[in-house]
Amino acid sequence: MFGLGDLYIVGAVLGSIAVSAVGVVYGAINWNRSGSEEDK
Amino acid sequence: MIPGMDILCVAYNLNAVVLGSLIAVYAILIGYLGLRGFRKTKSNQDYLLAGRSVNPFVMAMSYGAAFISTSALVGFGGIAGQFGMGLMWLVFMNIAFGIVVAFIWFGHRTRSMGAELDAKTFPEFIGRRFQSEKIKLFIAGVIFIFIPLYSSVVLISGARFLQEVMGVPYFWALGVFGAIVAVYVIFGGLKGVMYVDALMGTVMLLGMLMLLVSCYVRLGGVVSAHQKLTEMSALVAQRLPQEYILGHRGWTVMPEFNSVWWWTLVSSLMLGVGIGALAQPQLAVRFMTVKSGKELNRAVLVGSIFILCTAGAAYMTGALSNVFFFHPEAGKTPQLAIEAAGGNPDIIIPMFIKEALPAVVLYVFSLTMLSAAMSTLSSLFHVAGTSLGHDICGNLRWGRENGILLSRTGVCFGIVLSVFFAMILPPGVVARGTAIFFGICAAAFLPAYVAALYWKRATRAGIWAGIVTGSVVTVFGLVFMHQKEAALLGICKLICGRDVLVSVHPWPVVDPFVYALPLSVIALVVVSLLTRPLEKKHLDRIFK
Repeated sequence: MFGLGDLYIVGAVLGSIAVSAVGVVYGAINWNRSGSEEDK
Repeated sequence: MIPGMDILCVAYNLNAVVLGSLIAVYAILIGYLGLRGFRKTKSNQDYLLAGRSVNPFVMAMSYGAAFISTSALVGFGGIAGQFGMGLMWLVFMNIAFGIVVAFIWFGHRTRSMGAELDAKTFPEFIGRRFQSEKIKLFIAGVIFIFIPLYSSVVLISGARFLQEVMGVPYFWALGVFGAIVAVYVIFGGLKGVMYVDALMGTVMLLGMLMLLVSCYVRLGGVVSAHQKLTEMSALVAQRLPQEYILGHRGWTVMPEFNSVWWWTLVSSLMLGVGIGALAQPQLAVRFMTVKSGKELNRAVLVGSIFILCTAGAAYMTGALSNVFFFHPEAGKTPQLAIEAAGGNPDIIIPMFIKEALPAVVLYVFSLTMLSAAMSTLSSLFHVAGTSLGHDICGNLRWGRENGILLSRTGVCFGIVLSVFFAMILPPGVVARGTAIFFGICAAAFLPAYVAALYWKRATRAGIWAGIVTGSVVTVFGLVFMHQKEAALLGICKLICGRDVLVSVHPWPVVDPFVYALPLSVIALVVVSLLTRPLEKKHLDRIFK
């Protein structure tokens, strides 16, 4: 897949992109949320 | 050999006038941001925590720039050139633990608890959480003693860069490099550090993105480049027999399971560096610099992209450089990257940039390297200095009345100590000292930090048990178990007549962190359950 020779490496590359995407989506969704009680 | 030194040496055919002009403009920008930090620093809280009001972009870029140093980009990038893309698991761990877990699960609580406890540094945070001045002093002492060792390595790399590229004599370069960072750290405080780090982080992000895109363009596209690298796997056994024995099986496959390289990748890099980043005091203190959790959420977005684009670009480029060196222009001998670099992985990335990519990439890369070194250095100087000035001496009567001055004095002292180490210590020893510091930080501080944030039942005695167990087991592992350090130190050989206590595979290649961390956790939990908890009123206040 993607010219890579091992599914573990594909997993590392896709996993890095996926976990970054999680960070981006989390940041975007919670852009204006404080996340702790005293801030609310 | 000094980490990063050779690397920077291959770049010496740069036009010194062009690079000098770029560095001059850059220095002016740094000066401006440092001055801005200085003008906005009115109180000790400003100096130590940037007034708890930092912009999320500045916070995330500063965190990332302090996280990713020259050795991460060039050193680990070169290791990827030698051993392949297995290092992408480190990128995964850096983002998953260093950003997502750190900001979402550690950041929010550290920020709100830190504000409640009025803690301004990492040692003060842990000390006040467990109502123990001694715990604070112990952590501050460890930080102040060991961080200058780490910062001296980074300082040396920067000084060597100025020496090789600009022709500045080494000791002058050391002084100049240290002085530039010193000025904005001493006067600008954490505000100055974070503003400058944000600028440097932006340069690093752009520089590494440019590197990755140029690399794929040069090698004929993403899939084509990967395919060519995959087809080179058979060359490992023929041309790199030593690496083959260590478990290397190609640049796009994982090392052989349970081999030496597999254990190094999994235990030292993925777990040690990946998880260990959670307990780095210079990073943890940044969570307390923002005014609300909103800024932390926004920083998750920026930080995730930053680590993917900097560390990810370095490791992919390092591995792919093999394709370039093995498919050279007519008249040149095909070589693997490590062969082209004369056996030194440190020079793979700069050599690839120099030979394969446009000159503009090399200039941007030079600024990227300076940024990576300076941003990490400034954070280390600041945290080491404040450990002395604020945490250790802050309780003195004079210290309470002159908070900023004492912190600045501490930073000065930390910088002088770092420059001193950079001048006298052999680089190999310093690098190992750094590894020891990271191991102790992870094994000793991480369980205490997690317990501080999430476990009400943790007691002072439990925290001491965790810190002491983590420290002692790590040191024991380095002296008696882990081949690399044990053989170098020679203490095990002196006492037991052999390099390591247990020579059965895989113990000599398992990082001490792997057993020190669980033992530290067990000690913390067991002793906490056997001792009297902290008073309810205190816990209710900080866990409200």
